[in-house]
Amino acid sequence: MLRGRTAPSRVLFGPHETNLAWRREISERHAAYYARRAAGGAGVIVTEVASVHGSDWPYERAPLAADAGPGWAAVAQACRPYGSLVLAGLGHAGGQGSSAYGQQALWAPSGVADPGTREVPMVVEQPEIDALVAGYGAAATSAVSAGLDGVEVAAGQHSILRQFLSGLTNRRRDTYGADRVRLLREVLAAVRAGLGADGVLGLRLCCDELAPWAGITPEQGTAVAGAVAGTADYLVPVRGSGLSVWATRPDMHEEPGFNRGLCARVRTAVAVPVVLQGSVVDPAFAQQALDQGVADLVEMTRAQIAEPDLVRHVRAGTAERIRPCTLSNARSAVRDPRNPVVSDDAEPRAGHETEDPPVEGTDAVSRAAVVVGGGPAGMEAARVLALRGHRVRLLERDGRLGGALRLAAAVPGRARMGLLVPWWERELARLGVAVELGAEADPALLDAAGRAGEAVLLATGSRPAQSPIGGPAVLDAVFLDAAAFESAVLAAGSTAAVLARRPAGTVVVHDPVGDSTGVGIAEQVAAAGRAAVLVTPDQVAGVQLARTGDLVPANIRLQRAGVVRELRTRLLDVRDGRAVLEHVWTGACREIGCAVVIDCGHRLPADELWRARPQLRRAGDCVAPRTVHEAVLEGRRAAFMVGASG
Amino acid sequence: MTLFSPLRVGPLTLPTRIVFCAHLTGSALDGLPTEQHAAYYAARAAGGAGLIVTEEHSVHPDDRPYEKLLRGHDPAAVPGYRRLTAAVHAHGVPVLAQLNHNGAQSSGMYSRRPLLAPSPVADPLFREVPKEITAAEIREVVAGYARTAGHCAAGGFDGVEIQCSQASLLRQFLSPLTNRRTDRYGGDLAGRARIVLEVLAAVREAIGPRRALGVRLCGDEGIPGGTTLAEAVATARLLAADGRVDYLNTSVGVATATLHLVEPPMPVRAGYALPVAAAIRAAVALPVVGVGRFTDPADAARALAEGHCDLVGVVRGQIADPEFAAHARSGRPGRTCVGCNQECAGRVGLNQPLGCLVNPRAGQEAVALPPPRIPRESPVSGARVAEIPWASRPLRRGRAVLVVGGGPAGLSAAATAAARGHRVTLCEREQRTGGQVAVAASTPGRAGFGAVVSDLLAECDGVDIRTGVTVDAAFVERERPDAVVLATGARPARPAWAGSLARVADVRDVLTGRVVPTGSVLVYDELGFHPATSVAEHLAAAGCAVEIATPAMVVGQDLGLTLDMELFHRRAHAAGITMTTDRVVLAAAPARSGVMLTVLDHAVDAVSEIGYAWVVTAVPPEPEDALWRALRGQDVPVHRIGDCLAPRRAAAAVREGHRIGVAL
Repeated sequence: MLRGRTAPSRVLFGPHETNLAWRREISERHAAYYARRAAGGAGVIVTEVASVHGSDWPYERAPLAADAGPGWAAVAQACRPYGSLVLAGLGHAGGQGSSAYGQQALWAPSGVADPGTREVPMVVEQPEIDALVAGYGAAATSAVSAGLDGVEVAAGQHSILRQFLSGLTNRRRDTYGADRVRLLREVLAAVRAGLGADGVLGLRLCCDELAPWAGITPEQGTAVAGAVAGTADYLVPVRGSGLSVWATRPDMHEEPGFNRGLCARVRTAVAVPVVLQGSVVDPAFAQQALDQGVADLVEMTRAQIAEPDLVRHVRAGTAERIRPCTLSNARSAVRDPRNPVVSDDAEPRAGHETEDPPVEGTDAVSRAAVVVGGGPAGMEAARVLALRGHRVRLLERDGRLGGALRLAAAVPGRARMGLLVPWWERELARLGVAVELGAEADPALLDAAGRAGEAVLLATGSRPAQSPIGGPAVLDAVFLDAAAFESAVLAAGSTAAVLARRPAGTVVVHDPVGDSTGVGIAEQVAAAGRAAVLVTPDQVAGVQLARTGDLVPANIRLQRAGVVRELRTRLLDVRDGRAVLEHVWTGACREIGCAVVIDCGHRLPADELWRARPQLRRAGDCVAPRTVHEAVLEGRRAAFMVGASG
Repeated sequence: MTLFSPLRVGPLTLPTRIVFCAHLTGSALDGLPTEQHAAYYAARAAGGAGLIVTEEHSVHPDDRPYEKLLRGHDPAAVPGYRRLTAAVHAHGVPVLAQLNHNGAQSSGMYSRRPLLAPSPVADPLFREVPKEITAAEIREVVAGYARTAGHCAAGGFDGVEIQCSQASLLRQFLSPLTNRRTDRYGGDLAGRARIVLEVLAAVREAIGPRRALGVRLCGDEGIPGGTTLAEAVATARLLAADGRVDYLNTSVGVATATLHLVEPPMPVRAGYALPVAAAIRAAVALPVVGVGRFTDPADAARALAEGHCDLVGVVRGQIADPEFAAHARSGRPGRTCVGCNQECAGRVGLNQPLGCLVNPRAGQEAVALPPPRIPRESPVSGARVAEIPWASRPLRRGRAVLVVGGGPAGLSAAATAAARGHRVTLCEREQRTGGQVAVAASTPGRAGFGAVVSDLLAECDGVDIRTGVTVDAAFVERERPDAVVLATGARPARPAWAGSLARVADVRDVLTGRVVPTGSVLVYDELGFHPATSVAEHLAAAGCAVEIATPAMVVGQDLGLTLDMELFHRRAHAAGITMTTDRVVLAAAPARSGVMLTVLDHAVDAVSEIGYAWVVTAVPPEPEDALWRALRGQDVPVHRIGDCLAPRRAAAAVREGHRIGVAL
């Protein structure tokens, strides 16, 4: 019960960037996205943070409160049948914004450049502060006028309110510096006035900036919470500052539920309901947090991106059917100038609710189908076919399901990727798919299946590409591709055992891709006690991790593990226990010791069966080796096409 | 033959030899052409360009490397095409559409479909393995070119240009690096060029004989094993022999591997890519477009006169000055592209609409300027005045404006305000105008940046410029202007750890000669841009042993956006400049021969002490806002612009100066 309004469950779908906006308006894509989570049982939904003032335009599709009214109304209407409380996220990114879109100086408490953008903001004076406070109040009024249940005020990551609260960013000598909570109090008062007496007012408050030398400490954060909680109807303690943006919604390297201690501490200091935020993905863990008095509600944002029906399944006692959230952030973290749409590794319909048909439903004609390949594409195709009423055989050459995903999950720190495999296994068993392991398919088998009226779908995955330095250049160095390496490690039981069988000396990890694989394997080699060198053409290791939030943590892990990062470098040659490295720009060459090369480069489609029978449908890596997301999307699409061809 | 000799190109007659070649603008909305497209190209046509080639139009829905790509394959584009072509034709200038498919130089992020490419070779930037295109898909793509060409014809274009250059499926077919096919679309040049000839046949069929058909070829990929000039010349011969092409355009570089060759930064000389045009022109009888960072009409004229090419591509020169050609003809000065790449390449690379540091109107052409607020007794109507370009003779009937500060912000404000009829006085504390731009332009390879202020100064000929004058509140009280524009800039900030150590200096102290470091120098960079790298080069050239350290993960990070990074690294390597990342200076103490620094490696939490003869800081400066504090709240309207509002880069200064000049 929040301000007399009853949330149907204690699970909150928190505010996050989606890039679903149309210009700066909350769009019908937003409405469909939130409505799907409402239908799945979310108790409270907080919409994407809207800027309360025109001075703030932090990313191209950041909603603007002044433009959001009709969209908020559409979201309220779409969610109403399910009873979820819907609140508007309201904020101002201050010095953490971008001047690229609004082409105006950023607003901030002091002229401290954000470490990410290095842009110096203008120092707000009383007229700007007055406009800001008024903007919050007006946005709150607009939200309840649109039919929303209230608002959630952002004073966590990416917020000018946190910047005022923090000694890192507030160096003012006026009353807003002497009393750093003053602006927050003024804003909360204006929001309450704007909401009226019965609107819900939530507060997302940074209670730990992880920068104890000047930032908000848990002590200070708890004190602030205690001081202002009386004006709020619930509180979400979060952590992270501009120096640790990644820490607020970190990827799978961080322990799920990491804010438990912080949340419990804040809860003892306030009389309002407190929400546990921070990689909460497991319903049992969430229940335990409620039972043990850590929190009154749980925020499960990414878990509900991955599984919209999370609450519904828990209620129905079918929690084992919940699609696990990998916490990879690969699709859900979308602060990227290209404006990627929010989605999930294994639930590609997330963010695409208005385009992609729902998987649920039954096809008109029940068919027999055989899917070749038990990786993500094949498992998803088999799952969807069976779900939609078809009789499915799934053939896997290996002794177990999972394909490349099992190997990807073997990379250190990536184990959560592997949670998807048993989920698919459970679903396939539940749906009665006939899984045939150790079953090698050949053209004759495919022809026979076709003659028997079975629809045939190929999902045969990928194979290693040629060595980056060509065949003959490799003389005495042992060359392994990343998948073969992880496969050997799984078989041998340890990394050290695999490396012990290779020549002694430095292991060169060749990473022209810059994703989680190269970084993870370098960590793995170092952890096994071998000297590791990561060779990358980029200026930083793991450059593609920028989006997931793991870029800085990954580079720190590499340095602490003693991995040498050879940046802006290509591997030119390997011979006689030496590797020749070339600077990609200056052309300067140098040699390092090199006993083993592990190649984390791109792979090639394993498309021999398709080449033998090119009329057959195929999905996933055997079309072009990419990530699990594309494999699932294409497996699903292929299943729909087979279903429609009955 | 001059820049202004008309030229027949196939069925078209071009009024001048200056081509506004294809480049991304980021102006599309939902993949459709906008009013901004029409206004943007029309401004260059009005300014004397002889031919406009629009940005690329994609020929297939699966091809969507970036969000703001024009969807030429969609008939919904045709009404926008009509508005665009009508706007350009109003100035008697032909306009072509560039057609393209980006192949593997793309991402499935937007299309949610596999990429198509000759072979499964991942692009070095996008890093996504493409699907090897099948023969049936090749037919579909070729048909897409024809369908898109049909949309362009229906939309009033005078023809199309087929991109086989910086980001294109067709170049990927032509290049042995990306085409490893063994079927009839691979192998020797005839095989690799087969798809190009099929496209030309289909497109010519679609547009008929009365429209022009051009091809833009990559003359050198700049990648080991890639297409060479000899191969490009052979391709040109093949295309010319085919008989369907009316002209050939040229380029060098690959957008996703060697973009600094496509859009080179300031240090690269004009005409750097002319050898490609010259070699092709010597081999074929078709008109050839030469390109290569032409920012001065004299260089462009020389390229023609010396027979390297028949037409000259000028892109950034015409972004900076839409009247590049008219100004070349009249000899009047315009605004010069300085090759900074900050707002054009830099913004488009981040999925933002194109802009221009020296021309704040670039990318905003569709937004009409409001009429100046000239007092009512003026006989000149606002609408008339609004049409007067910047450099025209001002009508001195406007408000009395006092601009304080002669850096880029102040000069920009003065130039715009004066052009819009205001009576402007500009006071500069120093003996010369230019502010930090003048300082930046004194560093190695950066002299061209000085045009940012010299062009503005040239536009200020009606402005009362007083140098060596310090303005205070009493001065304002005496002068009684109608409005004050504060453009007082920023002053170097001294990090707390620097104390009063004489051997710790700001970049500006070094570049103005206030201090002359010798021996070992640490340049400490918190800005991630030219200040640190420029001063490092300056000091290395003076014989210092230079290290650049930064708390960031990369030294000079934003040089990547402006495409300066690669060339900087080559120069730094040659000069022996070293670079260290993840370092935070905690403390400094005097040492016998300089400064002893306490430095934190924040990645591993290790603190060490290192001695240098000198330490030079490139850190965020502080706004010089004393006058603002004195004047705010008084009766006279006071406006802050540029660094005295928030210390940023020159683009913000010029933009805010222009904006206040208009708002006055």
